[in-house]
Amino acid sequence: METLFHAAPFTGYVYPNETVIPWTVLIAIYPYLTGLVAGAFTMSSLYQVFGMERFKPVAHFAMLTSLCCMLIVPLPLLLHLGQPTRALNPVITPHITSAFAIFGYAAGFYVILLLLENWFVFRPHIVAQAKQRKGPLGWFYRILTLGSYDLSEKAMHYDRKWIFALAIVGIPGAHGLHGYVGFVFGSLKSREWWSSDLMPPIFLFSAIISGVALLIVLYAASCRLRKIPVDQDCMKGMTYTLWGFMMFALLLEAVEFASLVYRGREGIEVILEYVAGPLIVPFWIIQIGICSVIPVSWLTFMIWKGVKGNALISGTVLSALLVLVGVLMMRWNVVIGGQEIAKTGKGLLTYHMPFFERESAVTAAILLIAPFVLLSVAVKLFPPWEDSGVQRD
Amino acid sequence: MTQEGIAVEDKATELEEAGRRDFMRLFGGVLGGGGIALVAAALLPEAAAVADKPDIPGYDWNKHHWSFGVDATKCIGCLRCVEACKVENNVPKDPHHFRTWVERYVTLEGEEKTHIDSQHDPVNIEAAGADGKYRFANRYKDAKVDKAFFVPKLCNHCTHPACVQVCPVGATYKTEDGAVLIDHTMCIGCQYCVQACPYGARFFNEEIQATDKCTWCYHRITKGLNPACVEVCPVSARVFGDRNDKQSPISIFLRNNRVTVLRPESGNAPNVFYVGIDKEVS
Amino acid sequence: MPKHITRLLLVIVLAAVLAYVGKQWLTVESFYRFGHYRGNSVAEIASDKPKYATPKSCETCHAAKYAEWSRGVHNNPEQGKVVKCEVCHGAAGGRDKNPNGYNSATGAEHPKNLKLEIPADTVRQCTLCHEQMPGRPLQQKQIVVATHAGTQQCKVCHNVHSPRTFVGALASTSKPGNPAAGKAIAADCAACHGKLGISEDASIPSLAGQTEIYLADAIKAYKKGLRKDETMMSMAKDLSDSASENLAAYFASLTCKSAQDGETPAAARGQVLAKKCASCHGENGISKQAMWPSLAGLSKPYLEKALKSYKAERKNGMMNNIAKNMSDADMADLASYYANVACR
Repeated sequence: METLFHAAPFTGYVYPNETVIPWTVLIAIYPYLTGLVAGAFTMSSLYQVFGMERFKPVAHFAMLTSLCCMLIVPLPLLLHLGQPTRALNPVITPHITSAFAIFGYAAGFYVILLLLENWFVFRPHIVAQAKQRKGPLGWFYRILTLGSYDLSEKAMHYDRKWIFALAIVGIPGAHGLHGYVGFVFGSLKSREWWSSDLMPPIFLFSAIISGVALLIVLYAASCRLRKIPVDQDCMKGMTYTLWGFMMFALLLEAVEFASLVYRGREGIEVILEYVAGPLIVPFWIIQIGICSVIPVSWLTFMIWKGVKGNALISGTVLSALLVLVGVLMMRWNVVIGGQEIAKTGKGLLTYHMPFFERESAVTAAILLIAPFVLLSVAVKLFPPWEDSGVQRD
Repeated sequence: MTQEGIAVEDKATELEEAGRRDFMRLFGGVLGGGGIALVAAALLPEAAAVADKPDIPGYDWNKHHWSFGVDATKCIGCLRCVEACKVENNVPKDPHHFRTWVERYVTLEGEEKTHIDSQHDPVNIEAAGADGKYRFANRYKDAKVDKAFFVPKLCNHCTHPACVQVCPVGATYKTEDGAVLIDHTMCIGCQYCVQACPYGARFFNEEIQATDKCTWCYHRITKGLNPACVEVCPVSARVFGDRNDKQSPISIFLRNNRVTVLRPESGNAPNVFYVGIDKEVS
Repeated sequence: MPKHITRLLLVIVLAAVLAYVGKQWLTVESFYRFGHYRGNSVAEIASDKPKYATPKSCETCHAAKYAEWSRGVHNNPEQGKVVKCEVCHGAAGGRDKNPNGYNSATGAEHPKNLKLEIPADTVRQCTLCHEQMPGRPLQQKQIVVATHAGTQQCKVCHNVHSPRTFVGALASTSKPGNPAAGKAIAADCAACHGKLGISEDASIPSLAGQTEIYLADAIKAYKKGLRKDETMMSMAKDLSDSASENLAAYFASLTCKSAQDGETPAAARGQVLAKKCASCHGENGISKQAMWPSLAGLSKPYLEKALKSYKAERKNGMMNNIAKNMSDADMADLASYYANVACR
């Protein structure tokens, strides 16, 4: 029989019921994925809404990435639920005072928005394919056209207006969705590690940097796979974007941590004991040292010296990879860290991640890879590249 | 009035209510939506006056206001309450899932830090010997103890329960008579409520894949019995009763003692009142 | 408006309508009846069957035990100290079928198919509340097991249903005997135990004024071979239970005389040791419990021999434990003390 639960070892005093840690690695994966969604969407909005032409090479790619991540977002939650068959209950009888009840609606709304925007963006491609292709794939495209092959200037004008409107709605949508994830943690008064008004903006900015970093990596990888040169201007723009948002993100996190320590409320001794002990490797060394200080200094150096060419690309991509790991560690340190500090304020627990189980390292790894498998299929069905031969705005 | 008399009367009210429900359904069908309330209020003024209540035989939740008291100065740490609760409510017997538990606070001479332990401490698990049996190991018998006491803990059935606030589906709720209950058939097992409770009173019951916690033995108190933990406490450290009854044990307890609650700053407004707990207890 | 936009709007409206209908259709019965929850769940939770059944439910079948308990120290509502039946015996109203999880009223029930626990290890049971432990309030009766009774079970001395009542007082089968009838058959005893129960030989105990039930039980014990002494075993062989009780009543009615050998220094040392004996053998060795012997005024050699026999072969849980830790010198001192105490 499968072990029903794992009792976490502890030091000091923790409540008896706390020894079973409620939220596992999957709940750390969940905000990471929504963060990628929000970040990638921000990247595409910079072009769609703010008209930054230099981001045109990645704009549609970003939209597709955002959608692929978003389709996986509900999975970690679903796998975490004790009663996955009742997963629709929060939508059927939503309890409006609960941040989780909003998830069904916010995520649902956002998925629809992403689908619509992608549909409008790729409509010319869909129509073209519907005309050419035969077989099941042809049917797939023909259903997607909704029976209208209208690509007239008038129709395209309508589409552009829709794309713009959806992108504008999408900005508060994506950021709201992710800010709310921060609220899920920040609004809980039971845990000092989480209970903070700064949680939503911290989640938001770390989301944006993770999304930008993801696009940097994916864009560079896609160029290499497609054997085309990387657009220097676009890459430089993303370098600036990453650097700028990282400044905000790091500042917010520093302010949050400083005020937590400065307020020094009940239980601060244990929090400091935690920060100075179990957190040394995951927080100070990995998240702050390797994955924040190094990339931010590197990016600063490259911007200051005006590095160009392959040096800029490899530097930015490596920094972006570090940032991706850093944001994942940040989610881990928030979600798991918050639960390792006991509610009693007098003890610490240790979470052990199982390897093979419903909520384990393997599941987490699969969920982290899944969006990219989806993406690799999606780019085949809906090529987001400028040179893919379809006339676009 | 005889027992039979009450039963007959209850039956009559039930039939009356059933008739009333049918009537309202008919009107609802004809007039639809928001009209129901208006019509019902106009045609059946007494229907609005009689507050609706769950179908519990011989019990009206509008007439009770339950509260719980703990006199920590009396507790001897025998853990009969913990064992009784596990049997009465079919709680998993391992030492990591409790609807109620007892904490021990011990300060040794010359030490500033208080030693706290409870049923999940490895030393106490060993002393208990088996799942479902609980006992405090006499680990401080040879130490120079400056101060020591026991504190029973349970769900506080708060007036503003954080757990109910965060439940996404309405699987947990506060009743009219003051208990916070869990509907295991609605719970999706997200454990957000487990996180939200500042008292660690909630746990995830893996056997039923739903969250679980103390109900003040709602199935007992609605039958005129005490909660199981109160029933078995040999020293009356636990007190339970109806605050609408001025002579109930809890009314007397609250009148005669200066009481405190756990973590008042949380704003949850607990309804378990403590006497004789120290500054470390939270 | 282009066709694809109108169709898209149609799809969206259709999806919204479907979603709304689905939500209405899937909302469970009685949800929103009292608030944002399933109203029927309140009555469902309230319908669980209670398992702890209160002492009243035990009384019908266990009237005698109930009476013992209800008059005893474990039922003291004034002080708020009530140890109800189910505290030690477990819930009588049934157990759930499933090991854990959902409650169900279908499990085993007492008395039909659920036997309640009778704690075999009373030391473990009683010490749950009565072991001396930091944190227990002072008014709680607490013992240190090692010095209180060693490995002895609590129930040997205490009536578990009313612990202040000592077991022997109720457990002994001895009935009050007839002193006159006893006098008639006491002649055989006089050869050794003296004419009026005052022994001339220091190695043989005086019987005058000894506690009655103890004497009766002693004769019965010799008869059954539970106490071993060749002379006494042959003397007791033909005595009926009532004859033993009559003899006991007779000797108990006689006036005792203290041995008084005048060994004062040893007696002073013995007095300190005797403090431990007082709880059973009485203050100054005059027992207040009819089933335990008085020690005051018995001869030093007899007392010494008795103590040594408890250390060696003679069976008595309580006395074995006490004697085991005593040196020969202690025994001699203790015997001296009791020999020199006034027996009245």
